[in-house]
Amino acid sequence: MTRTVHPALIAFTALVFLFLLAPLVIIIGAAFSDTTYLTFPPQGLTLHWFSNIFQIEAFRTTAITSLQLAFLGTALSLLIGIPAAYAISRYRVELPRWLSTLFVLPILVPEIVFGFSLMKSITIGLGLPLFPSLLIGHALLVLPYSVRVVSASLASFDFSIEEAAISLGCPPLKTFLTVVLPNIRAGVIAAFILAFITSINDVSVSVFLTGPGISTLPIQILAHMEQFFDPTIASVSVLLMLVTVAVMAIVEATLGLTFLTK
Amino acid sequence: MKQLMKWGLATPAILAVTLFLLIPVIITIAATFGEPKGVFSPYVAFFSSGFRRTVLFRTIEVSLVTTAISLIIGFIATYVIAQMPGRAKSVMIIAAVFPLLTGVVVRSFAWLIILGKNGILNTILMSIGVISEPLSMLYTEGSVIVAMVYLFVPLMILTLVGVLEGIPQDLIQAATSLGATPAATFRQVILPLATPGLIVGAVLVFTGSFTSYATPQLLGGEKQMMMGTFLYQRAMVTFDWVGASTIAAIMVVVTIGIVAIMSRLARRLNPMAV
Amino acid sequence: MTVSLSIDSISAHYGKTAVLQELSLSVAPGELVSLLGSSGCGKTTTLRLVAGFLQPTSGTIKLGDRDLTTLPAHARDIGLVFQNYALFPHLTVLENVAFGLKQRRMATRERQQKAATMLERVGLSGLGDRFPSALSGGQKQRVALARALVIVPPLLMFDEPLSNLDAKLRIDMRVEIRQLQRANGTTSLYVTHDQEEAFSISDRVAIMNAGRIMQLDTPETLYRKPANSFVARFVGFENLLPLRVLEREGAFVTAEAGGGARITLSQDDFGPIPDDFVLGCRADGLSVRRQGNGLPAILGTRTYLGRAYQYQCETSAGAIVANGALSEPMAAGSSAVLAPMPEQCCVLHPEK
Repeated sequence: MTRTVHPALIAFTALVFLFLLAPLVIIIGAAFSDTTYLTFPPQGLTLHWFSNIFQIEAFRTTAITSLQLAFLGTALSLLIGIPAAYAISRYRVELPRWLSTLFVLPILVPEIVFGFSLMKSITIGLGLPLFPSLLIGHALLVLPYSVRVVSASLASFDFSIEEAAISLGCPPLKTFLTVVLPNIRAGVIAAFILAFITSINDVSVSVFLTGPGISTLPIQILAHMEQFFDPTIASVSVLLMLVTVAVMAIVEATLGLTFLTK
Repeated sequence: MKQLMKWGLATPAILAVTLFLLIPVIITIAATFGEPKGVFSPYVAFFSSGFRRTVLFRTIEVSLVTTAISLIIGFIATYVIAQMPGRAKSVMIIAAVFPLLTGVVVRSFAWLIILGKNGILNTILMSIGVISEPLSMLYTEGSVIVAMVYLFVPLMILTLVGVLEGIPQDLIQAATSLGATPAATFRQVILPLATPGLIVGAVLVFTGSFTSYATPQLLGGEKQMMMGTFLYQRAMVTFDWVGASTIAAIMVVVTIGIVAIMSRLARRLNPMAV
Repeated sequence: MTVSLSIDSISAHYGKTAVLQELSLSVAPGELVSLLGSSGCGKTTTLRLVAGFLQPTSGTIKLGDRDLTTLPAHARDIGLVFQNYALFPHLTVLENVAFGLKQRRMATRERQQKAATMLERVGLSGLGDRFPSALSGGQKQRVALARALVIVPPLLMFDEPLSNLDAKLRIDMRVEIRQLQRANGTTSLYVTHDQEEAFSISDRVAIMNAGRIMQLDTPETLYRKPANSFVARFVGFENLLPLRVLEREGAFVTAEAGGGARITLSQDDFGPIPDDFVLGCRADGLSVRRQGNGLPAILGTRTYLGRAYQYQCETSAGAIVANGALSEPMAAGSSAVLAPMPEQCCVLHPEK
């Protein structure tokens, strides 16, 4: 049931949506332009700039690095985050309240401060190589998603089915894997997606942890831009957007996108 | 045994956050107090430098303006979205939030194409005769603000959707049945009840833009140095680690301070809290 | 000033599905009519149409002389009491009650006085400065009531106002609501799914099902003389027996049930009986005798109701539930005869 809204407000909102979506359309268009500079509308259409991505070694390697970091980092954060979420949901009254705040610290602390400190203390201080440092950085960066989103899912979980399983003879770990996890599937998938996308797009943490031989795709794009301001940047952006769309399509297929609006 | 289990589950995460986030950041901040010139010497140096003060104030100013604009745009858009029927509403929310998922670099660099000397905006303005020479719009405070607003409006909408949906429909109906016009309902019922959520949204946008790196780097460059880009420069270009740590410390204080104060304010203003 | 409410051939659709079909209803000035039915029957939809939160696809709604149909919701001047109270959490109790007066541009002091007076009338004097979160369920409902009454509306509407309260409170509050309504003489429309509640406080009740009014009558009439099988089942007739008339002799009618069993009824007792009819009998309306005129039955499970015994009976016409006297308990398996008693039975036309 629509309530009456002043047409001026509706017009304004339409403009807002234009504002939000037009730049993305511009990038997509510019990616196909048959010119050596970035322009919109595209002049002539070509896929050259897309193939250029795969020909530039720096993009190839950093894309792989970014994907590795995203998968491994997300997996790590889920590995330590899900038990933590379970603990604060199940034993809410018995554990101190600052615990939830602790797991949200990566959001409270500025990313750039986190990246800098990590570099200073761990990479240089402890001598940890760049990739593991990056991995730790990404895993912690996305930890709040693993904990918070899974906690939200657990909030509506009926723990008595867990007790039922245990009373029927199922050992605790097996109960967790076969009874609890399948029922919070939606939360875990949502957490995975948010974490993955955050990691793939991250700049502020990664920028301190890149060096010879190791960089992430977004940072490589920034570097490329300083030298070549050509449509390759647009096509890489389009590729990144496609990854996001692919991920969201998976969500839609398994859960329905409206889940994310909660 | 049970006691061990509870803590055991959370321990890996606790250890990870403590060892790799909490302690390194504390070390970073603590390092600023160990200078031979004096406990607070890096901070004195920071605030006595005109350039550094400018960077700080510019960052605050950009963040405030971004927050204000994002609040207004976001609230109006969210209000309209909330009135839409079910399916249209979901589509609009997804469309508004989708940009959030495309990443900082993509969203900031789009504005380079739009605002550049050969960019779309200049091309349009010249073709309709408003200007005869392309405007130099990049590397100004304005271009940073535009890109930041673009970055944060979806976040604001996402936050506010939850807030507006949290206002029970029957309150709106009650107000209407008692004779309140849509405008009166908005002023007397919706706005007061949305205020705590508005505060949360504002804090998110302010701290996000205050600590931003990629956007000021792309759209502001060296001419419009902000705290994020300044920190990077001090750390990785001039290797002035104490200076960088000082900037980091100020960032942490500002961020956590604002979050703490505003959360308390939001909680106290929240009439629907149990 | 009391006015009548007339709802004339209202239809409402949700997409293609019809939620209300040409529903007509009128409430006389000062009358309290309840819309009674289970969820999905259209009672809340009807209320929302009158309130203006929903637009009808056809038909008109008139309050006195005013045509409400095209009027926006905030201009209809109707007092609404909501199921979840809908109190404004950010306003004090007094401000809540005064809200409608504020929209009518009444001066601050005047509206505060009127609100305070109304709070006294509902028994909440002194609570004006509290916030809704500090009140109990019953108190909240009284505030909601006060808020709707203080604007002196020509029509009051209640949307299941008591369903969130516990049983004892529900009974007390419904009496209070009825007393207040009677004292003001305000025309009222009351939506509920609770039969006892509707019957106890209404002048007339409309029993609804699938977007239609199945019967609109006084509670007494509905209870004793339902007009169709739906209403009969709704008001508690446990048994509905299809019968066909075989012979008529003066006032006496002999009819045959499925399976060949016969009953003789007198039209002097049961009223006119058509050739094909359904006899509705309450379990209390079938006396259980060892022999005599009535439906032969074999008694099955016996349960104790406190005031009577209830027997699940097997007859050639199917399963029947009948209540027998405590003084004459009968064993399972015994044969008996079930005689319908006119005051607890009704004659219905068969449904197609």
